[in-house]
Amino acid sequence: MGKPVDVDVSSERLGGHIAVLRIGGEVDLYTTPQVKEEVLALIDGGVRRLVVDLSNTEYLDSTALGALVGALKRLREHDGDLRLANPQPRIRKLLEITRLAKVFEVRDSVAQALEGWDEQGATA
Amino acid sequence: MPTTTTSRVELKIPGRPEFISVARLAVAAVAARMGFDYDDIEDLKVATGEALTNAIQDAQSRGVAAGEDIVVICALCERELVIEVRDKGSGFDPERRRQAVEQDELQEGGLGLLLIEALCDKVEFETKPDSGTLVRMTKRLADS
Repeated sequence: MGKPVDVDVSSERLGGHIAVLRIGGEVDLYTTPQVKEEVLALIDGGVRRLVVDLSNTEYLDSTALGALVGALKRLREHDGDLRLANPQPRIRKLLEITRLAKVFEVRDSVAQALEGWDEQGATA
Repeated sequence: MPTTTTSRVELKIPGRPEFISVARLAVAAVAARMGFDYDDIEDLKVATGEALTNAIQDAQSRGVAAGEDIVVICALCERELVIEVRDKGSGFDPERRRQAVEQDELQEGGLGLLLIEALCDKVEFETKPDSGTLVRMTKRLADS
């Protein structure tokens, strides 16, 4: 089978060490590797503060949540951080069940998630 | 299986990640036909997806690259839907996985079990050396 079409992953560098990762569609065991790959490329490229925009994420499973936890750990090792923006109620429910709502900072929009992060981002 | 089963839908899928969504959609269609509401259908999709993920990851950890078939059975009962996910896996210790998640909030694995148990009304695990692992998940229809 070719590249999964169930998910749409894209990212935008905002200058400094900040980036927004947009995840659209369904993220599960099949499509999580695409998310992981993008996150690793961003971190390897110097990103230290990452907003994950979940506005268009329709489905997220435990492997995707695990990948986000892995990304948060990796960013923290570099004094960085990861915030989640605008998860749909279904995804919020999963974050609550797994208690990850307390681990991640969850904001209602990308703009709110970026608040407090100056353009320089964290020092690498 | 409960004795009140009125219909049964069986699906056999290759134990590979790209087929998980196929099973999720099938379960969602069965649940919709039974009259489950949107939230409950989504709960069932997640629970089914997590049970399949467990089974496939277990096969991968045993070095089964091609993916053994996994059977998903939906037993439609009068007021509940029972979903069984059967694989040839060696099983796992649910209690050990629960403890791993509780001890480390940044645990990357083991979240699936937490989701299955939270989203279903009843969950049973069975592991037999000759027949593999079975996860049985029950969701009751809300009173209308």
